[in-house]
Amino acid sequence: MSSEQKPMQYSDVNDDIVRSLVVTGRKYYITLAIAVTVMVTCFYFPWFYQLYYGIGAAGMNNPTVWGTYLASFIFWIGLSHSGTLLSCVLHITNSEWRKAMYRSAEAMTLFSLLVAVTMVMVHLGRPWFIHWAAPYPNQMELWPNFRSPLLFDVIAITTYLTGSLIFIYMGSIPDFAAVRDRTSGWRYHLYVLLSLGWRGTDTEWHRLGWAYTFLAVLIIPLAVSVHSIVSWDFAMSIVPGLHQTIFAPYFVVGAIYSGTAGIVTVMFVLRKYMNFEHFITKIHFDNLGKLLLLLSLLWSYINILELFTAWYGGTSTEYEQLRYKLTGYYSPLYWEMILFCAVAPLLLISKKIRTSFVPMLILSIVINIGMYTERFLIIATTLSRQYLPESWRLYTPSMVEISILVGSLAMFITLFLLFVKIFPSVSIYEVKETMPKPQKKNGDRSW
Amino acid sequence: MVSHAIGLFHDPESALHAAGQLKSAGFAQPEIMSPVPIHGVEEVLGPKKSVIKRFTFFGGIFGALGGFALAAGTAVMYLHPTGGRPIITIPPFLIISYEMTILCGILATVLGFLISARLPVFRERIYVPETAVDKFGVTVPCDSDEQFSDAERILEQAGAEEVRRLGDPS
Repeated sequence: MSSEQKPMQYSDVNDDIVRSLVVTGRKYYITLAIAVTVMVTCFYFPWFYQLYYGIGAAGMNNPTVWGTYLASFIFWIGLSHSGTLLSCVLHITNSEWRKAMYRSAEAMTLFSLLVAVTMVMVHLGRPWFIHWAAPYPNQMELWPNFRSPLLFDVIAITTYLTGSLIFIYMGSIPDFAAVRDRTSGWRYHLYVLLSLGWRGTDTEWHRLGWAYTFLAVLIIPLAVSVHSIVSWDFAMSIVPGLHQTIFAPYFVVGAIYSGTAGIVTVMFVLRKYMNFEHFITKIHFDNLGKLLLLLSLLWSYINILELFTAWYGGTSTEYEQLRYKLTGYYSPLYWEMILFCAVAPLLLISKKIRTSFVPMLILSIVINIGMYTERFLIIATTLSRQYLPESWRLYTPSMVEISILVGSLAMFITLFLLFVKIFPSVSIYEVKETMPKPQKKNGDRSW
Repeated sequence: MVSHAIGLFHDPESALHAAGQLKSAGFAQPEIMSPVPIHGVEEVLGPKKSVIKRFTFFGGIFGALGGFALAAGTAVMYLHPTGGRPIITIPPFLIISYEMTILCGILATVLGFLISARLPVFRERIYVPETAVDKFGVTVPCDSDEQFSDAERILEQAGAEEVRRLGDPS
């Protein structure tokens, strides 16, 4: 809150958030229409085309049997990693600055997870058999193979999706009740259902406080396990460049890194277009900037370590993989990734950059472009360059794959746009908690 | 007919004080409704115990055992030996067990929350919408007009901006 403005009252918070839900301008509808159109034309049409003509419509080949679909899957799972995880860590450590931004960050988690799951469906080729991954009694008496990292993925992501959904919902119950009292029509009925009859009694607050903390404690190890497990999809194979012990922490750090950058992007947009200048301030950008700097250094360290181990080990396959990565066909992408994820974020050392909104937005987008490239390279540089030169084959994504990637971004934006009109995107009660408590009007009361 | 007296306060301290006064005057357990969680309620209205932690704990245990049983049980039901390795393989099954611990822990926590907070409730209950905005409400049930007058006096003395009488909707 800037000092020249009138200090905010509790009722102002309710007014601002309810307004963000019910007052919708033309810009919103235009953006939503564009997002839905891009989603349908760039995601669903190409997907139906691929379903009709077969998975060959994608550019994947043998040996590069995984392509941008799975790179996008890792990217979206990664993007989901800061929201709920960061929110849980900051809740447990009682960080005040969390309160204005965590709801949108958690929504980001939820929607990136949904997009990630959709990307797996696209990759499957025959998504109508997805239920085969679920353990249920069937006439063939077959069960999923619980020894496979792919099934670890199914269980971990289902758990993470459930946990994230419950976490964002539980934290929103008091806000649904506050909004319920101020709305009418279909919104009123929706919020009556969502608020479960919440009245804000001392007992309800007490129970919510405990349950919320327990959920936070459970979700932190879950989030770490999810991306570790995603990394094992790769690391548990014996492909040079993938079979590495560092992969789990590498993926977890990368995920939190790109997720935090994603939060900066979302915060910028919310602040600018939902008029949340009072709630999302320079302090939030400064803190997120510091976190991004730390994560970029960690990420760079792990990358150097990966290169060093391969070089020092000196086995021919690892060495070839290293050479190929640094100087081969995909090397321009590799150096772009280093520039975007390791060099550019060093600017964050300056407080001026961290507290300037537009440079932070640009940096956050640059970091996520770099992180997408990282995920693409993990697949493309390794699978196309395995042991024997006779099995080396380049992979370039087809138009269908590129279109679906663009469409997945539009899908995320569509989901987020719908979210900001249904969920209070800033937590009403937690923002109130950060404000000065109302004081007694008359200090000399008899008691 | 049972009615409720509800006093609306501007600040949490006055509301807490009023609740304490009502309790010491012999009223049934007063309830405080507030837009934010208030600290210090337990000092005034007595300690609150919640069963949520038990739900979380036993949910987690159930998930751990259930997850392992699922992986091991299905492996035994359809034997599929691979490379002479054991049918019940501990390390990968522990990962399933770990994930299921968390999943069941989370679901049980939600169940514990709903049971202990007595939610959801969709019938009309004593409620004042201002308490979701900027007022702190203290409410007590009153059996008679005399009792309501007593409650009203105590609430006003404690600094209530307004005291309302609400009928029991049920």
